[in-house]
Amino acid sequence: MDKKTFRGGAHPPERKERTSELPIEYVRSVKQVVVPVNQHFGPPIQPLVKVGDSVKRGQKIADAEGRMTVPVHAPISGIVKKIEPRLQPNNAEGPAIIIEPDGTGEVDFMPILDPFSCTKDQALTRIREAGIVGMGGAGFPAHVKLAPPPNKPIDVVIANAAECEPYLTIDERLLAERPGDVVDGMAILLKTLGVSKGVIGLEANKEHLVPVLGEAIAERRREGQDISVVVLETKYPQGGEKMLITALTGKEVPSGGLPMDVGCVVQNVGTLVAVADAFLRGQPLIERGFTITGGACKTPKNLVVPIGTLVSDLVPDTVQVDDENLARVVAGGPMMGPAVPSYAFPIQKNTSGVLFMDKAEARYFQEQPCIRCGRCMRACSCRLSPALLNEALNAGDLEAAEAIGVLDCIECGTCSFVCPSRIQLVQRFRIGKQLLRAKKQKEAQRAR
Amino acid sequence: MPANSLLLSSSPHIYSGVTTRRLMLSVIIALLPASVFGVVLYGLPALGVILTSVAASVLSEAGFRALLKRDIRIGDLSAVVTGLLLALIIPPSTPLWMVALGAVFAIVVAKEFFGGLGANPFNPALVGRAIMIMSFPAALTTWHSPFAPIADAYTTATPLNLLKMGQSLSDVAASVGASTPPELYWNLLIGTRAGSIGESSVILLLAGAAFLLIMGVIAWVTPVFMLGSIALFSWILGVNPLVAVISGGAVLGAFFMATDYASTPMTPKGKAIFGIGAGLVTVLIRQFGGFPEGVTYGILIMNAFSPFLNKLRVPKYGFVKPAKPAKEGSR
Repeated sequence: MDKKTFRGGAHPPERKERTSELPIEYVRSVKQVVVPVNQHFGPPIQPLVKVGDSVKRGQKIADAEGRMTVPVHAPISGIVKKIEPRLQPNNAEGPAIIIEPDGTGEVDFMPILDPFSCTKDQALTRIREAGIVGMGGAGFPAHVKLAPPPNKPIDVVIANAAECEPYLTIDERLLAERPGDVVDGMAILLKTLGVSKGVIGLEANKEHLVPVLGEAIAERRREGQDISVVVLETKYPQGGEKMLITALTGKEVPSGGLPMDVGCVVQNVGTLVAVADAFLRGQPLIERGFTITGGACKTPKNLVVPIGTLVSDLVPDTVQVDDENLARVVAGGPMMGPAVPSYAFPIQKNTSGVLFMDKAEARYFQEQPCIRCGRCMRACSCRLSPALLNEALNAGDLEAAEAIGVLDCIECGTCSFVCPSRIQLVQRFRIGKQLLRAKKQKEAQRAR
Repeated sequence: MPANSLLLSSSPHIYSGVTTRRLMLSVIIALLPASVFGVVLYGLPALGVILTSVAASVLSEAGFRALLKRDIRIGDLSAVVTGLLLALIIPPSTPLWMVALGAVFAIVVAKEFFGGLGANPFNPALVGRAIMIMSFPAALTTWHSPFAPIADAYTTATPLNLLKMGQSLSDVAASVGASTPPELYWNLLIGTRAGSIGESSVILLLAGAAFLLIMGVIAWVTPVFMLGSIALFSWILGVNPLVAVISGGAVLGAFFMATDYASTPMTPKGKAIFGIGAGLVTVLIRQFGGFPEGVTYGILIMNAFSPFLNKLRVPKYGFVKPAKPAKEGSR
């Protein structure tokens, strides 16, 4: 059977075999946590604690008013030692709350909330209060996606289980080990949105998990809900929100629009598990799973750690690194994750992986001239003609770049991956987007 | 942890194994069967032309870039492709000094003057051939029968020459030693006819083209539209469409010249129009122009349109047609 997919894309080497069979290991005791205050896509929030305060596991430690904000909770019980700027996985510095454990293990969770008898407002409040953001990468506040305006009816909730980034296997392990929580999370979102149809979309390399999920769905069948699993072609960027929607529904999210414009809500598998935790156990988002692997990682693993755990604190007790051959550290997958200057950075809510790339993996290349082969144009899932966009940006022609659609670029990096001349296409588009936004802002100011 | 030794760069951090060099190598491999067959047909002189053209191309690229103190990148093999293509589209009896001059012109004037690899607006090999035809019209239109010594006494005419001179298909058949139309088609397909070194064996060229298509090196759009256009317009003008496609340089041109990356459009719509236009110009030159064959100019003329054809992009993902502003008078 032809598997569903989107147009374009590429198939990078998967390199998931080292961790795809390894059960998740839970790390509970750490010597400190460095919790970034701002882990969501939205306006900044403020710490609610001060240095010297004693905090319990699950206690809210940072929050603010505002629809697009999401609170942060203490991942361990302990004492606030410092509040200062620290390196974050996005390669920038930001305020972080540093907590050292007190060994009491005291817990301050929310009361359990029955998602199927509570009101919609109660459910949305719970999801926000639990500090849940999209855990696939962008960190978009989950409750915002679940409260679309009345003129945008939702007809399907999509669970993003594509995990199209090479190396990463944490979503695969969550599906294998916690299928019930994935299905429960989906059921809660369906109930909250008042939608009956849920689809779990995964790539063909995880087809063996279909029976596992089928069982969980059958077991947890709820009146009026129809959850199904769809196997998609293994192709990058299948897990891009827009591409997943197109693969599953055939619809395209309009330029500049959101999934809700085509009646879809997409949430990552990890987010669904976090939602189940928030309702059924009262546990806010204080820990997450990720894959730690790469050629210079001697002990690749799937781990769940408290949010704020420094990767450097996991070495060498939990993970061993071949420092001799270590050439690059990436927070996330190799296609979209940022490279970081040191592995002393904290795992945060949207960190799905840590790659220790060795010298062979992290080879870098000199840019060669564009031979106009058109490979990038065939690979671009946004159909943006990257070669022409590159030409426009090299010529400093921002109008042409906008006309081609640089602002629609999802920065998946497929163009750079396929380019035989190793041209820094997506890298240049990122800069182009910033320049264009800055220019528009300036024009808007002048118009005022 | 190693201090300050980690590589920092913007994602992605992995790359496909495809490089420019590999793409060029694929084209060379795809052209090898037809090149070897050319040497089989015409013997050592053909080999001499091929080697001279390739050597002159590579050396002139290296020399010119060295002169300009630019990085020498003959390792990408693109000069080899240009040299090989030029050799395949000229007669086996072309004097070697003319071949060398044509190759130097192709590389230096048609390619490097415009910025080198990827920046040439016109196909370098075709520019080289066009210049040679203008400079040495006699040598470039002297054809030889296959399997015969390259000597003045054995010159002959190509099938398209015969058609140009107003002769019938049966005269063409006789010229390739065929007595029936199927025999004529067969001989044209395997390529036992007079012509340029590498243009004649349609079967071997198609085998090379199939290799490039399977490897994803070229797209099918341009060749299919170009050959279809040649067949259609020839038929409209009363020429046997199959003979029109397989008797000249159309197959070589459509699959190996009209698919040149730098000088042809990148967008699918642009490729289609390029193919149709190149086919049309080819047929017009064959029927009404001064030359028996028009593939060279068909492609070169369309090369000039490529930058404009690149504006025919496919609509981007999620493209929404801007709402038409209300008409002024309707208020």
